[in-house]
Amino acid sequence: MARVDRLKQRLLRELVEQNVELVAGLPRKTLKRRRRLRLGSSLLGLALLPVALLASSRLFAPALGPVAPPVDGSAASRVSNPGRTEGREIPEARLAAPRPIDPSVFPLAVRRIAIDPGHGGAAVGTRAASGLYEKDITLDIARRVRRLLEEASFEVVMTREEDRAVSLRERARIANEAQSDLFVSIHLNWIAGGNTRGVETYYLGPTDDPELDRLAALENRDSGYAVADFRRLLDQVYAGARLDSSRRLAESIDGSLFRSLSRLPSHLPTSGGSEIADRGVKTAPFLVLVSTEMPAVLAEVSCLSNETEAELLTKPLYRQYIAEALARGVRRYALAAESAPEKGT
Amino acid sequence: MSERQALHVGIDLGTSRSSISASNGQRHVVESYVGWPLDMVARKVLKKSVLIGREALEQRTMLDLHRPLEEGLIKDGSEKDEAAVRELLRHLVQLAGVDPSDRSDFQIRAVVGVPAEALRVNKQQVRKAMQGIADNLLIVSEPFAVAYGLEELLHTMIIDIGAGTTDICVMKGRLPTEDDQRTLTQAGDSIDEHLFRLIRERHPQASVSLHMVRGWKEEGSFVGEPLSPILVTAPVAGKPTRLDITAEMRQACEAILPPLVESMFDLLSRVDPEYQERVRQNVVLSGGTGLIRGLGPRLERELQAVGGGKVRVVRDPIYVGSDGGLAIAQDAPEGDWEKLSTDEPKRGK
Repeated sequence: MARVDRLKQRLLRELVEQNVELVAGLPRKTLKRRRRLRLGSSLLGLALLPVALLASSRLFAPALGPVAPPVDGSAASRVSNPGRTEGREIPEARLAAPRPIDPSVFPLAVRRIAIDPGHGGAAVGTRAASGLYEKDITLDIARRVRRLLEEASFEVVMTREEDRAVSLRERARIANEAQSDLFVSIHLNWIAGGNTRGVETYYLGPTDDPELDRLAALENRDSGYAVADFRRLLDQVYAGARLDSSRRLAESIDGSLFRSLSRLPSHLPTSGGSEIADRGVKTAPFLVLVSTEMPAVLAEVSCLSNETEAELLTKPLYRQYIAEALARGVRRYALAAESAPEKGT
Repeated sequence: MSERQALHVGIDLGTSRSSISASNGQRHVVESYVGWPLDMVARKVLKKSVLIGREALEQRTMLDLHRPLEEGLIKDGSEKDEAAVRELLRHLVQLAGVDPSDRSDFQIRAVVGVPAEALRVNKQQVRKAMQGIADNLLIVSEPFAVAYGLEELLHTMIIDIGAGTTDICVMKGRLPTEDDQRTLTQAGDSIDEHLFRLIRERHPQASVSLHMVRGWKEEGSFVGEPLSPILVTAPVAGKPTRLDITAEMRQACEAILPPLVESMFDLLSRVDPEYQERVRQNVVLSGGTGLIRGLGPRLERELQAVGGGKVRVVRDPIYVGSDGGLAIAQDAPEGDWEKLSTDEPKRGK
C-alpha cells in the first residue's frame, strides 16, 4: 500500500508539472491561429529575401545542370508567357511594410499534413530484382501513414490515392491549395551495388555530391516545370523561413525511421543481411520540395536495391512499421513545434 | 481567499456522455448534447435559453442542437461548439450542487480527462472552456484517470472505449508517454455509422435514423455469437415492421476489432519483456462501448496468440473516469493547486 502511495505521489507531481507547462504556454488567443501563422512566416520569409536571393543564385548554379537541362527556346517562351507560378510572385507593396511578428502565433502550428506517395502510373520509380515497384510500395506506406495520422487527429491530404501518374508540379499544387502545414514525400532509394540498406531524409538545399544530383534528376522527371519557372521557384524558396522548419522536420523523421528500423521486432527476420545505415539528413534540389510552400521533406524510407529490404518490403508488417516511424516523426515534430514557440526562424 | 471551501470534482468530458464526480458525494451523468431554441416561439414554448443532455435531445426539433465534442475533442474553430462545451461543463458543475458563476463560498478544483493522444492545442481549448467555471484545473489523459481511480498504476493495460475514441494505455508506473498509449477513432460512433450503413443496404425500404441505430446498438451490441436474434422495429412505408439486424450488428461491432487488437499487440510489444506477462494478465476494459457483449472473451482469445491473458470489465464504466479524476483532485497537494489557476497566466499572483 505504501508503495502505491509513493507511486501516486510521483505521478501526481509529474502530472502537475505537465499542467504547469501547459498553463505557461497558453497563448492569449487560441482561435484563428493558422491564418495568422501563415502571414507571419511569409513576412518573415520576405524579410530575408534579398540575402537569400544572392546566396541561392550561387549555391544553386552547379546543382541545376542535371536537374533540368537548359533548353533556351522553351525557357524564353515560358518567361514571356508566365505560367501558374507567376501568381505566386510577391507583390512589392507587401515587401515594403514588414510588420512585427507576434511570437504567440507560432505555436499550435501543425494541423494538416500532405502525404506524397512517390511516382505512380507509368512512372514506376525504381524496381527491385523481384519485380516490386517503388510506386506501389510508396502508395501502400502512404495510406498507412494517413490512417495513423488521422487517428492522431491530424488532417491528411494525399497527392495521389491510386496508381496514376501525377506530375511533381501537380503534387505541389495539391499540397499548396489544401493549405497543408507540412509536406512529406515518400520514396524508396536505389543504391548501386546492392549492399547498402539505409534510410535518409532530404530537405531542400544545394548539394555538391554528384550522386545526389543523379538521384534528384531521377526523382525530378515528369516535373511539368520549365527551367525559368524552376529558377524563380528556387529564389523564392530559399528566402523562406520554412527552410529551418524543413530541416527540423527532416531530422525528426529521419531519427524516428532509423531508430525504428535499426531494431526490428523479432517477427521480422532480417535473414542475416547487413546492418541498416542511417544515411542521415541531407539537402538536395528535389523539385517537389521546391514548389511546396510549407516545410517539406522527402524521405527515402528503404533501399529497393538491397535484397533484404526488397524481401522485407513484401511484408505488410514491415510497411506498417515504416509508416509508424514516419507518423511518429511527424508527431514529434508537431509536438516540438508547439512547445518551442520562439524558434521562428 | 483560501477561506473558501474547496470542492473537488472529476469530469469525464465524453463525446456521447459526460460525467462528474464531486467531493460532496454528488455523481451525475448527462448526454453531451447542448441546444439553443431556434426562435422566439421555441424559446416561449421551452421557457429556457439553453437545454442540455437528454432534454435537449428530446426537444431537438425546436433547437439548434450541438454535440460539441468529436472524437473526444472540442470541435475546432466553431464558436457555437465552444460555447456548447462551456454550457455543458457549467451544467455538470451545477448538477454537483454549486453555481459556477457564484463561487464566493466554494473554490472549484477540477480534473478533466481528455483522450490519450490529445495535443496541446486540444488541452488548451479545454482550459479555455473551463475559465470562469473552475478556479483551478488539471488536465489528464482519460485512461490515466481510469487507472488512477482503479489504483492500477503498474503493469496494467487500460482499454477505454467511448463513443468518439478508443484509448489504450499501458501503465508502467509513470505518466503515460507517447509510447505507452494510443487513441483510435474506431469506437461507439464508428460502430453506429457502420451499422446504419449496413441496415440501409439490407433494408433500403425501412426508414431509420442514426439516433434509432444508436439506441439499438446500446441495447444489443455483441461480438461472436448472439444470445438471441437482434430484432428491432422500424417503419417501412409508414408501417412499423420487425427487422432482423443480427448479422449487421455483429459485422459493425466486430469492425473495431482489427485496429484494437493491432494496437493492443503493438503496445504490449513495447513493454519490457519481463513484465509483458503481468500486463497481459491485467487488461481492463472500460467505457460505454467497452460493454459490448462478448468483447472481453474475444480479446482474451486474441491474446492466446501471444501467450494468453485476462480481460476484465470495470464495475462502473460510466463513472470510472470521473471517479478517477476526483481521486486525482483530492490527492493533489494543496500547494500544487495554487499553480494551476484557470486565470490567464499574465495576471500572475
